[in-house]
Amino acid sequence: MRALEAPAAAAAAAPAIAIAIDGLEADRGDRPVLRGLKLSVAAGEVYALLGANGAGKSTTLAALLGFLAPRAGSLAVCGRSPQAELNAVRRIVAYLPENVALYEHLSAVENVRYFLDLAGERRGADEIDAALAEVRLAADAARQRVGTYSKGMRQKTAIALALLRRAPVLLLDEPTTGLDPGATREFHRLLDALRGRGVAILMVTHDLLGAAELADRIGLLAGGRLTHEWCAAPGPARFDLAALHRGFAESTA
Amino acid sequence: MRRALVVAGGELRLLLRSRLAAIGLGALLALSAVAAWTSSAHVAREHATRAAHQAAVDRLFDDQPARHPHRVVHYGTYAHRPLGPLAAFDPGVDPYTGTTLYLEGHRQNVAAFGAARESSGLLRFGQLTPAFVLQTLAPLLLVFLGYASVARERESGGLRQLYSHGARAVDVLAGKALALGAVALAVALPAGIALVAAAASVPAEVPAALAVAAGHLLYLAAWVLAIAAISAFAGTARTALVALVAAWTVAVVVLPRVAAEYALRAEPLPSRVETDLRLQAELRELGDSHDANDPFFAEFRRRTLERYGVERIEDLPVNFRGLVSAEGETLTSRLFVEYAERLAAIQRAQRARVDAFAWATPALAVRRASMTAAGSDLENHLRFLAQAEAYRYDLIQRLNRLHADGVAYADDVQRSRDAAAERRTRVVASHWQQLPDFRFEPASPRERLAAARPALLALGGWVAALIGVLALAARRLERTA
Repeated sequence: MRALEAPAAAAAAAPAIAIAIDGLEADRGDRPVLRGLKLSVAAGEVYALLGANGAGKSTTLAALLGFLAPRAGSLAVCGRSPQAELNAVRRIVAYLPENVALYEHLSAVENVRYFLDLAGERRGADEIDAALAEVRLAADAARQRVGTYSKGMRQKTAIALALLRRAPVLLLDEPTTGLDPGATREFHRLLDALRGRGVAILMVTHDLLGAAELADRIGLLAGGRLTHEWCAAPGPARFDLAALHRGFAESTA
Repeated sequence: MRRALVVAGGELRLLLRSRLAAIGLGALLALSAVAAWTSSAHVAREHATRAAHQAAVDRLFDDQPARHPHRVVHYGTYAHRPLGPLAAFDPGVDPYTGTTLYLEGHRQNVAAFGAARESSGLLRFGQLTPAFVLQTLAPLLLVFLGYASVARERESGGLRQLYSHGARAVDVLAGKALALGAVALAVALPAGIALVAAAASVPAEVPAALAVAAGHLLYLAAWVLAIAAISAFAGTARTALVALVAAWTVAVVVLPRVAAEYALRAEPLPSRVETDLRLQAELRELGDSHDANDPFFAEFRRRTLERYGVERIEDLPVNFRGLVSAEGETLTSRLFVEYAERLAAIQRAQRARVDAFAWATPALAVRRASMTAAGSDLENHLRFLAQAEAYRYDLIQRLNRLHADGVAYADDVQRSRDAAAERRTRVVASHWQQLPDFRFEPASPRERLAAARPALLALGGWVAALIGVLALAARRLERTA
């Protein structure tokens, strides 16, 4: 179970604000996409970033991962700038794209070991098995080729990898698209567990209900800026769904 | 470098687990092994056959009975071009050039018994040799195994996954290239063993064998780099495949033929008939050396009589007919050499034109480097022709000297009318055994290495240029993740 203790340790070392974006402006080709975005995500917080297609959600993640250089503004992940310290940032960020690109010819165990090797992180077979068990990927399935996996199983593998990497920051791009309700619930359970270990999670999604169920804060991105932001209230009705729908509808109008 | 090695390990595992890749790799390995074995066997057989034929004709020459030296001039002998030890790896132009020359007085014959000319014509499709497998088939296999290596990652979103785990584009490209390079080494292994086996029999050939190996490794490295770069530049794996197959077709199939066609047109070689007719016309002007009274040799007669201080050829201490034969041979041989050198110059000019294309396709560079270092190139054939002609001239002149010194002029004049005189013109048989046999001296490994250097440099240039292209591809890939 050491693998599961580690993120907590990492989170303890991480600053309170894990992701800080201020005045971010970025283009896709000649098209300005982000125009002064400002948001922050604290350690142990799940932040859901909503927005219409092309609003700049994925561009935000791309900027945090150093895949594109912003035109203006500042970005920091655990106090480090992706522009200045790209390798350091990538070492502390785990990233789950919409379609997790695992190697079909390898098993979950082999995929995890491969990416850990790439990241320069050494983990024992016991630790890998424990992480895969934690995400509830059956031991025999974990040794089958990923080519036979459902999307949910791939997501679990990727989460196990994030656990093993002990990354204090997790970036998710449309993680539940294409998952059935059971798999989505299971996925939310895993994210909840990561949050409990102090991992800062920035989730880009179209799934308004899913975001309302899981997130601590929800931001609505429109026209390259954050137009609305809601904080979860204590109790079962965490967000005013009507307000969320209204805001979303306005942003896409 | 550590990350590149991790990427390479992953890519190799993919190749090993892909049934299609395993079948392709297995088939080429088998083909390479078969090529190495059959080519070695063929060359060993051919070498033995030529050696046996050379020994047989030498024996036949030595076993001639006592006879007039000029009959021996016309009896002639044969020169066989032996195969170098590295011809088992790359027979070069051997199948397309004659391997045997009939050497006789007053004539310079054309080399005969080229394998391509004597075979059913199937040789035009290419001989299955280790060099053919490495130069033609191996790049194609590498294309099919590697075309998607980078494009696949981009299409699946794997690049971002790799980057987010700390890899940079340069790590990804280097890793993919290293994996493909390992496959290339595996493919080259049977051919490499054949090369080592060929060189092991003649230790002096080891440096030349190393040059052949270096040429092929550089060539395969160029392909590996090109495949990784094109896979990185292409938007999709499909585009990469089309581009790479087109590149293979142009580099390996089209350009070598275009180069040859261009060289033939730029440096036209006169036809054999045309050459022969012109040569015969010029030969006729040199008189008939069988006839000591031919007016063409009147000036020679005058100078000879003057040199010996006598009035009549009957008073000469040597046989004037032998002297005329020697003088005639000197004149005709000068003409033969002149013609041969002119043809060789045109062939070398053609080759230089083709060599220039080594900067357009590495396929021509590796062929040139391989054939030259292996000693199976055009230069080796021209060297054989020149040495055979030099031997022919020396042999005929020795016989002419024997004619002049060993046969009395009076007997020579009377031999067609007087049986006793004819018997006296016969020279004892032991003379034939004292004449040297033909032994071809190929260029030394050092000479061949020097000749192969420009082609090896061209291959090095290709690799350096493609490393540059790969670096550009890495920069672009970093931006397009």
